[in-house]
Amino acid sequence: MSFVEFRFLWFFLLAFIVYWAMRNNAARKVWLLLCSYAFYAAWSWKFTFLLLGSTTVDYIVGQMLGRTESPASRRFWIATSICVNLGVLGFFKYFNFFVSSASEFLAWLGLPASVNTLYLILPVGISFYTFHSMSYTIDVYRRKQPPISNFVDLALFVSFFPPLVAGPIVRAVYFLPQLVSARRFSNVDVRGAVMLFLAGFIKKACIADGVAPTVDRYFAHPADFTPTSAWIGVLFYAIQIYCDFSGYTDMAIAAARLLGYQLPNNFQFPYFARNVSDFWRRWHISLSSWLRDYLYIPLGGNRGSRGFAYRNVMITMLLGGLWHGAAWTFVIWGALHGTALLIHREWIRLTEGLKWAVRAMRWLAWPITIYAICVAWIFFRAHDLRSAGTILRQFTLFRGGGNEHFHQWFLLVIVALLFVHWLNSRRWFAESWQRWPAPAFAAVYGCTFAVVLLFVPPHYTPFIYFQF
Amino acid sequence: MPVRELVPKVHVEPPATHKPTGRKTVIRALTNTGIGAAAFLITCLSLRVVLPFPEIDDGVSQKFRFFATHKDEFDTLFLGSSRVYFQISPAIFDHVTRESGLPTHSFNFGIGGMYLPETSYLLEQILNLKPRNLKWVFIEYDELQTKWSPENQTSRRALYWADWKRVSLLLRKLTDAGTDPLWLPSPGKIRDIVLRQKDEKNTRDLLTFYATQFERNYTNVSRGADVLDFFLRRDTKERRAKYLGAASDGYVSRPNRMSPNQVAAYERGLAAMAQTDARALSPYTMAAYRQCAQEVRKIGAAPIFLITPSITQINVATDSAGLTGVVMAFNNPRTYPSLYRSSVHRDGQHLTQSGAEEFTRIVAANFVELARAGSIK
Repeated sequence: MSFVEFRFLWFFLLAFIVYWAMRNNAARKVWLLLCSYAFYAAWSWKFTFLLLGSTTVDYIVGQMLGRTESPASRRFWIATSICVNLGVLGFFKYFNFFVSSASEFLAWLGLPASVNTLYLILPVGISFYTFHSMSYTIDVYRRKQPPISNFVDLALFVSFFPPLVAGPIVRAVYFLPQLVSARRFSNVDVRGAVMLFLAGFIKKACIADGVAPTVDRYFAHPADFTPTSAWIGVLFYAIQIYCDFSGYTDMAIAAARLLGYQLPNNFQFPYFARNVSDFWRRWHISLSSWLRDYLYIPLGGNRGSRGFAYRNVMITMLLGGLWHGAAWTFVIWGALHGTALLIHREWIRLTEGLKWAVRAMRWLAWPITIYAICVAWIFFRAHDLRSAGTILRQFTLFRGGGNEHFHQWFLLVIVALLFVHWLNSRRWFAESWQRWPAPAFAAVYGCTFAVVLLFVPPHYTPFIYFQF
Repeated sequence: MPVRELVPKVHVEPPATHKPTGRKTVIRALTNTGIGAAAFLITCLSLRVVLPFPEIDDGVSQKFRFFATHKDEFDTLFLGSSRVYFQISPAIFDHVTRESGLPTHSFNFGIGGMYLPETSYLLEQILNLKPRNLKWVFIEYDELQTKWSPENQTSRRALYWADWKRVSLLLRKLTDAGTDPLWLPSPGKIRDIVLRQKDEKNTRDLLTFYATQFERNYTNVSRGADVLDFFLRRDTKERRAKYLGAASDGYVSRPNRMSPNQVAAYERGLAAMAQTDARALSPYTMAAYRQCAQEVRKIGAAPIFLITPSITQINVATDSAGLTGVVMAFNNPRTYPSLYRSSVHRDGQHLTQSGAEEFTRIVAANFVELARAGSIK
């Protein structure tokens, strides 16, 4: 069940009405928990047991961490949590990748080995809820979060349906305090939430799904297309992934808000970033900050020598790439971003105090950044390294490719979307509607939604981040 | 990796202001929700009225637009799947009827993969054009299909006909609810559907699919492109020729024959089907055909139901129980052996060009005979 499907509307209406009709906070939480498991079961009821198992393990670990003061014992329990969580994630997501990579490596060494891969179905959203759950045990271990005695609270935090399958990644310290007291409907900004939902819906259902066929066509056979079409294909993918993912996030945040809960922001106009560090402060913020706090800083962060800090950046980005998917293309995507971050740091260090550099970057920073990000997207989207190489040649050298081409006016679509995005960043579509009388707002909203549906493609494209 | 603080520090909930959610707030919220929902529905229905006929692949739109322009020129219409599209040549049909002294001017509105309920929807749309001279409407006679191939489920083709009349009939058939006005699904069937038992493994998905198609159809999902298509008139000559055929009568020939292996498989299939008992069409199918007949009668034309010579149609029962129209059946290999020779078949379902021409001549001759005998009224 996806946010853009009609059945989600009925599901959410039921969840919403029953939730607010209840007065008791404990009953509400149980209801939301049931809804969350039902939401997840719509994909596969079998994997709800995995979700429950992961929650149970972390609940026990949390309890044990709360009962012991011994550092060795605490280390044992946190190691158990990390091993179980990453073990499950690794098994479902990376087992086949590592086995086949090892086999290919042995074959390359001249030692062909016969290995078997398993037919594994990747549980939807496993990367997200694993990180939700791990943030709880790690924070309890770090004494930033007291252990939760109420299992329902923890289970609801891990499985809360709006961010369950594609984020934003919610931390225990952010969400658990919200479960303590009953939410009040009079405190819910209904207008803000429904407008955010509409914005997310337009991004996903109209824009991302609208450009998806072009992207799919190009990336399926990149060698058939001209370099100009390669640019269109890659830029369309940059649009698609942003609108797809941020659209999901907007709808998740809106759905949570309607139930009285706040989720962290995940995007802040990432394509207006002026360097790669800035990009990571704006793109998938909940993941980048999670990796920073639970990986980069524990690795040593900026402490120590420059080389040591750079090593930490590269490890973090490589693992961040691998988090997205079990393929070398994702590892290269992470490596490219890591390299870009290091280049940016070196540039800052070397040009410190040089006025010409500052002046030049005033004009060049944005195009260079967006170009680098698009180059990295090629690896993120390409089916394999060979086709990534073909696309890279077309995109960077304007060479190679066939005769097939997309309409040139597709470039105008890109410019138009960028313009709308820019207007939005300038708060051009700001909250003037908040001042309208409620009935007028409701009527305009209803009409607008009906018009928006005209531009939804007939085919439904699953959210890109569902596969992660 | 960014080092700046991004996530707000630990989220601490402000103490909830004790603004009770009073009765007035609830009433206001419900009223505004009602206004929003009403505005949504009114806009959807208004748009549905003003939007042009949707742009549908596989020749649906091309044939519809062509027919709309020439609607008063035709007095005979053939509607159905590829078994009509590639097998009835209006030119030959008209030639035979003219020679027999009952001249007609026919149009083939067959569409590849079009079965009930799409046929019945399209028939309604055609009749809404009010073709003044239409006298005879041939409708392919076959069981009401409830299955859609997954690859076609995401196309506009699977969406545009999904109105309440069609979808309710499909839902009734899927839940075994009967055709009475009172909708009473069979409890056993519902249990099997919920538990995905026996033959109901995919029924739940089909129910969801049709319910979704109905919602998407009434909310005009993806109809924005039709406005552009309407104004750009993207009905190029080449595209039109592809679907309307050389004579612009809707017939396209398919000449290729079967390979020796296919011939052997065809002969086996033919022999096996000849052994099977006659299969009556379901009450849901009959209800759909009764509706079709009624619509045709309303504009003063006569419905004629046509069973084509294909292996899968052999055991279709030919009695027209409760239908106000004649059934022309060509599904008996003993009566029409020439239509079942492997040399005139492309596959088990379709005839070659020569087979199609022969079939058309037989249909035309039978039609003239029935019309003269007064059986077609």
